[in-house]
Amino acid sequence: MSIVLKGLSKTFGQFPAVKKVELEIPTGDFVALLGPSGSGKTTLLRLIAGLEGPNSGEILFNGEDFTAKSVKERKVGFVFQHYALFKHMTIFDNIAFGLKVRPRKHRPSKEAINSKVEELLKLVQLEGLGERYPSQLSGGQRQRVALARALAVEPEVLLLDEPFGALDAKVRQELRGWLRELHQKLNITTVFVTHDQEEAMEMADTVVVMNNGRIEQTGSPENVYENPVTPFVYSFLGRVNEFRGNSLENYTPYGVDKPFSDKEVGYIRPHEIGLSRTFVNNSYPAEVSHVNKVGAAVRIELRRLDTDDLFEAELSAEKYNIMGGLKRGDQLFAEFQNLVIFNGNTLRNSEFELPPSNLVLRPEEVRS
Amino acid sequence: MKINNKKHRVLPGFGLSMGYTIIYLSLIVLIPVTILFLKASTMSLADFWETITNERVIASFKVTFLTSFIAALVNAVFGALIAWVLVRYDFFGKKVVDALVDLPFALPTAVAGIALTSIYAPNGWFGQYFELLGVKIAFTQWGIIVALTFIGFPFVVRSVQPVLQDMDFQYEEAARTLGANSIQTFLKIIFPAILPALLTGFALAFARALGEYGSVVFISGNMPMKTEIVPLLIITKLEQFDYAGAAAIASVMLLCSFFLLFAINYWQWRSAKKHQAG
Repeated sequence: MSIVLKGLSKTFGQFPAVKKVELEIPTGDFVALLGPSGSGKTTLLRLIAGLEGPNSGEILFNGEDFTAKSVKERKVGFVFQHYALFKHMTIFDNIAFGLKVRPRKHRPSKEAINSKVEELLKLVQLEGLGERYPSQLSGGQRQRVALARALAVEPEVLLLDEPFGALDAKVRQELRGWLRELHQKLNITTVFVTHDQEEAMEMADTVVVMNNGRIEQTGSPENVYENPVTPFVYSFLGRVNEFRGNSLENYTPYGVDKPFSDKEVGYIRPHEIGLSRTFVNNSYPAEVSHVNKVGAAVRIELRRLDTDDLFEAELSAEKYNIMGGLKRGDQLFAEFQNLVIFNGNTLRNSEFELPPSNLVLRPEEVRS
Repeated sequence: MKINNKKHRVLPGFGLSMGYTIIYLSLIVLIPVTILFLKASTMSLADFWETITNERVIASFKVTFLTSFIAALVNAVFGALIAWVLVRYDFFGKKVVDALVDLPFALPTAVAGIALTSIYAPNGWFGQYFELLGVKIAFTQWGIIVALTFIGFPFVVRSVQPVLQDMDFQYEEAARTLGANSIQTFLKIIFPAILPALLTGFALAFARALGEYGSVVFISGNMPMKTEIVPLLIITKLEQFDYAGAAAIASVMLLCSFFLLFAINYWQWRSAKKHQAG
């Protein structure tokens, strides 16, 4: 089922939680609503489910106006952050609940319910645990029961609120891959809320970045990571260095020497910074303050000697070895040619004659 | 080497606190109750049996247990309803209504009995209209039920209220997303969650009603075989200096109450067990 949100707003008392949100989700898409706490992502999910009513705007399911429809009529599967399993019911009864409460005419026979529940238990890999109570299961198992329960009613949209928020890192990692697979198998339009950018990037087909009740950017994980359209998205996704004031005054890669106001902020990702031992065009002297060699990438913390800004650069282990190893106090030259400058919320680079990606050589290329 | 296997306890001194508990319970409950049984045992078995199987005594047992049970049942239903309203809705004067709930505890029961009698007597405010319908309330078992409902009223409200307050909306929302209507949500989700508290409240109201004397004597009319309750019968025996007889009736009353309350508590415990954190 496709979902379209048109100018959707929701206010709690005086507090606007969701502000004029426009969003289109095609059938079968796997969407992450990503944002910090208080960004309105959960409220947006609850609006789609019908657990909250919007103050204004429209919600279309398959092109049909569902704004005024009740939760029941929307036929959505909803998985709650803390599972909300019914404690006094067995796992079996929890999963069967949605089928058992159907009006007699539409209720499947007892045998049909049994086989459906067994099938779902198998799907979520909890066969044989039907007779247990929720309190006897681990967090990850409860999460899967919650999912099976939501799937039992054969929803056309699956909505998950911080599905792995309460689980430890290892279980979370397992469940991510598993949910991704499940989505491929069932191909139900799925929307999940998360504040964990890694989770959103890893699982979703489409990432919707939210902040302050608004959508900042929508796109594929690669797209939002590579081409953030607002400073918020830049700073929220992945590691990033921020430069202001003086550091920008000296930044004149295109030969345009415009004065920078204090509203202007430059962003660059650590892996986009080029490092070399010798001076190259437009590079700035910097001193190594810390080297972290864990994993495939080497993280180097540096201090610019001209402006005293601290920043982080990232090299592959291979490149790092070619450079011959670094230690605290080494002096290097750093290039910031991919620096993206925002004035408020607008991209400053676009004021220059050429977009930076066409002009700038990747720092790695410059260096080698 | 000495290995310390003791579990850490929040309050130290298990021996001291347990000893205190037992002494306290003995002084307040066990010793007076034992005296009661001792007094009853001064009778011969035949006398004892004759006293407690007396027609009038049996009738008063029936009246007491029946009216107490109905009153507790009424309180369970309406107490839960009031707790629901107090927790789930905001309205003007909610704090006042909340405070009113405790009033039956504060009022001397005799005052309550007199007030209820004057209202429900055949010429009272409400009584006159019931009279038109041919229903007598004061001086019948209905009157006893009204008085017992009044004095047991706060128990259910006060036991259910905190449970409802703590109940997460999530469960209701989950039920709704799964397609349950309001009645199904209440019966299958909310009711099982409040059932243990409801049973506790019911047991308390029931126990309170079994022992109630002050308010009932005014409204019941105290007609032997019809509206005479056990506590009244005990007082009557005492006034006739038949201490052993009074103790005999009281001890039977006590045993019956104990087993009933034990059964209710067991049921409460069983339904609460399912509701452990999950």
